[in-house]
Amino acid sequence: MLEIKKRYVIPGDVIIEGNYRPLMNVIKKDNVIIATRIGIAESSKDGIKVIPLSGVYIPRINDIVIGKIIDNSSLSWEVDINACFSAHLPAQDVFGRDFSPAKDDMKKRLAPGDLVTARIITFDRTRDPMLTIQEKDLGKISNGEFLKISSTRVPRLIGKRGSMIQTIEQATQTRILIGQNGILVLTGKNDEGIALAFKAIKLVEEEAHTSNLTQKVKDLLNVSEEVTQTETNNSSVNNEDYVNNSNTDNNSSDMENDHSSNITTESPKEVQPN
Amino acid sequence: MDQTILIDENGKRTDGRSIDDLRDVKITIGVLKNADGSASIEFGKNKIIVAVYGPREVHPKHMALPDRCVLRCRYHMSPFSTDTRKNPAPSRREVEISKVMREALEPAIMLEDYPRAAIDVFVEVLQADGGSRCAGIAAASVALADAGVNMRDLVAACAAGKVNDKIVLDINDIEDKEGSADMPVAYLPNLEQITLLQLDGILTESQFNECVEKAIHGCKMVYEIQRKALIEKYFGNDLPEGEEKELEENKEN
Repeated sequence: MLEIKKRYVIPGDVIIEGNYRPLMNVIKKDNVIIATRIGIAESSKDGIKVIPLSGVYIPRINDIVIGKIIDNSSLSWEVDINACFSAHLPAQDVFGRDFSPAKDDMKKRLAPGDLVTARIITFDRTRDPMLTIQEKDLGKISNGEFLKISSTRVPRLIGKRGSMIQTIEQATQTRILIGQNGILVLTGKNDEGIALAFKAIKLVEEEAHTSNLTQKVKDLLNVSEEVTQTETNNSSVNNEDYVNNSNTDNNSSDMENDHSSNITTESPKEVQPN
Repeated sequence: MDQTILIDENGKRTDGRSIDDLRDVKITIGVLKNADGSASIEFGKNKIIVAVYGPREVHPKHMALPDRCVLRCRYHMSPFSTDTRKNPAPSRREVEISKVMREALEPAIMLEDYPRAAIDVFVEVLQADGGSRCAGIAAASVALADAGVNMRDLVAACAAGKVNDKIVLDINDIEDKEGSADMPVAYLPNLEQITLLQLDGILTESQFNECVEKAIHGCKMVYEIQRKALIEKYFGNDLPEGEEKELEENKEN
């Protein structure tokens, strides 16, 4: 099978001809695979996909997102998750099964303006996404600095096995909560650390497609090699989640060339052609 | 009849081009920070900015379609875009161009991927010089790609027309007004499909065919510029060795 690695494509480009399975952001037409997004084309044993470099967030089941409560009805909250649909968080999910709209004051638990980390439990073409916060590490976010990046940059910001985000967190003494929808919440010991983390994140966002990005970030943060290589258990919610996920993944030695996220890909067993 | 000389004895047109020349085209991507995708195009003396928002929630909600996305286009000429002030209220012509632009872009966009959502395309003409609908479509398709909307192909657009009984490429403002025919064409270069074809003027069958062919040829030239702009913006100088060659090969195919 013909291997494609790191080929840059724009919509309409023919990636490959032949009987391959289209995976992500590609269409199959008359036995050719065509890209539908600007991005990096890759082939694996499952098929062909394009890792997009631009785009708004489209919700997906099991994504962990950070959302803002906009409103509540008598039975659910409406949550802005930075996507083309607003999500719903059912009141029963928060109060438990014996929730009664007459007894329980929803505004006391989550008021409009509050930020929550939540997992998308259902979403399809016909209905708006539904959220849950009934899991470890999900729920209301009490404090922190709010930051929005493009959701296509999230995998890069996390890095292979959380390498990038750990580098930033350790060097700046901050905790970074990451939602798959591109919303971040930063907390840290001091303002300088947060400001520096801000800068690093912006660098990742702007130069996501370039190689050797971890090194650039390290240069910005003045980190020496040894510090970053020591494993610590200092990782954020989504970060842990990421590491858990990536354990099922093949170990690719070259993290610099990994543009894909293991959270976002449908197939956890992807093959890195590099 | 006292007519301006549109093509002189050397075969040069009013702006010094030959009949097969395109005006200078320059596309810049990501010019607006607020928009999800944006592009500006300079097509000769045309200057156009395009902003794309979406896919996003549809307002008013009753416009939403259950099975696909709604595409909304707005073509607008700013009051200062022409030498006499243009009334900023949408004119009959602008409403029409908004509609044909939408129809030119729709086949390229995979609308069925975003049910119940909307994509908004705003095309603002800052300076007009004939052929602004083509320039607008070309810029809009690049802005859509910049916004990360799923697309089957880019849409390239270019006009051709008849001037002094000769079929010429890329009609400018004077040729549009004084010439005898103007034919804007939008084209999907990889799928080889025409998504817009209008004709203002009278052509014989053979002239018509020649005109379409010439316009498609122009579209392909515009496509190369669109492609280059996108690749430069997204991949910049990061083209690894061999990649440029690969791109060249793609072009040829």
